[in-house]
Amino acid sequence: MNVAAVVAWSLIAVGSGFFLAGTVGLLRFPGVFSRLHALTKADNVGLGLLVLGLAILAGSPWTALKLAVIWALALLAGTVSCHLIARYALREQGGRERAEP
Amino acid sequence: MMDWWLDSLLVLGLLWLAWQAVSAPRVFRSVVMFIVFGLFMSLCWARLAAPDLALAEAAIGAGLTGALLLSAYRALLARHEQRLPEPRVSRPLAGLIAVLCALAFGVLAWVLLTVPGVETPAGREALARMDDLAVDNPVTGVLLVFRAYDTLMELGVLLLALLGARVVAEPLRASGPGPWQRPGLREPVLVAPLLALLVPLIVLMAGYLLWAGTSAPGGAFQAGAVLAALGVLLRLTGRVRPTMNSSFHERALLVLGLAVFTVAGALGFGFEGYMLSYPAGWSYPIILVVESALMLSIALTLALLFSGSGGLRGGE
Amino acid sequence: MDQVLLYVLTAAALFGIGVYGLLVQTHLLRRILAVNVIGNAVFLLLIAWAVRDGQPPDPVPHAMVLTGIVIAVSATAFALALLRRYHRDTGCVSLEGREDEGG
Repeated sequence: MNVAAVVAWSLIAVGSGFFLAGTVGLLRFPGVFSRLHALTKADNVGLGLLVLGLAILAGSPWTALKLAVIWALALLAGTVSCHLIARYALREQGGRERAEP
Repeated sequence: MMDWWLDSLLVLGLLWLAWQAVSAPRVFRSVVMFIVFGLFMSLCWARLAAPDLALAEAAIGAGLTGALLLSAYRALLARHEQRLPEPRVSRPLAGLIAVLCALAFGVLAWVLLTVPGVETPAGREALARMDDLAVDNPVTGVLLVFRAYDTLMELGVLLLALLGARVVAEPLRASGPGPWQRPGLREPVLVAPLLALLVPLIVLMAGYLLWAGTSAPGGAFQAGAVLAALGVLLRLTGRVRPTMNSSFHERALLVLGLAVFTVAGALGFGFEGYMLSYPAGWSYPIILVVESALMLSIALTLALLFSGSGGLRGGE
Repeated sequence: MDQVLLYVLTAAALFGIGVYGLLVQTHLLRRILAVNVIGNAVFLLLIAWAVRDGQPPDPVPHAMVLTGIVIAVSATAFALALLRRYHRDTGCVSLEGREDEGG
């Protein structure tokens, strides 16, 4: 295994670790906001690392560019969904003073 | 080895998700599990060398079906947590019937796989004749050339489903996702930039899927589903409102696919002697025109099925 | 076990799960989900059959399943429209208990 493959697979492993952390946060945190925090931060970084590892493994810059576009779109979707869910939850719970984490 | 791991994980995921979809304690959880089940099916199609199906399942099976189910869930919300009546079939008996059905299915499948088949089944014939066609994607070739009748009838079924849904439709105020632009609520800040980015991207992707469908995985159905997703997005963000009656243009667009396909087929009848053939040498442009019309009709039909209305009008 | 056999067995199990859900669940939305699971099981069988002998996959089952996916979504959409109308007219989400209510 050459250096590039080792680097790529370790990136993929670390990215999967971030996904695991995000999922554990989703399952264990008490309220909507902390769960959103765990999900969006951990999963976006995890996806970025995964995409980076896959791009190294892919070999062609064209494929790497397409993978980067996928990451950007996932980031966009995650951001807007998080914003909408958090807004709804905030309104449900009666505003900033009374919302629980 | 890695393949075996991947397939086993997919299969276990499928089974668990299907079980959750039919028997989770809360209905919302069932619906969400079913959407994820659709995504896992899309991965299975990719594993089984069916990229066209993977695209279609992700867009239609997971995406659009998920949107329809969530919209219906919202409409039934008042009644979910009531105590439901007992089923007429007791659980052990139902379990026994299910196991027998699964066994019968498995036996049929085993027979199908092990009985020596016909010498040249239809698929091998189709693959052998691919060189005569102008298209390189065998699935598109089968859909639009070898089994064009099936595709024509499929359009008819889609239109029929829309007509049926219109017949039993609720009054417009109660149908589909309600307008969340109630007075006093501002639109969330990120919605406008999202639309500004996504709308051109979706149109580009649909056009690419249509164009690439003749030589790579893709085609009219996937492109139509992506455009329908655009319609759903516009409906959910309030950029289009539902209207009770379809305008003339909407009705024309709905039957456009069926009409263009039939006309192309009738042309073939004139030239080659049988319906749904294409005049020699013209097949590539005709297929492209037919696929474009199909894409537009499918997109509008699916978007109207989601919105539950007769038409969609832009503006406030 | 080879890949095709694994997917065929999965399709049979999914079929059983779908039938069980259809029989046991009374909430109509769950029944629609169960019918969709049954449909997906049949599609899985068809596509597993299409790659059975290791040659380029047979395109006719692919085309049939693609048609099937689109028809499944149209049928689901129609079923959901019926369900919403039924719920609006009667207030119930299941077919069973209706005879007891006296119309």
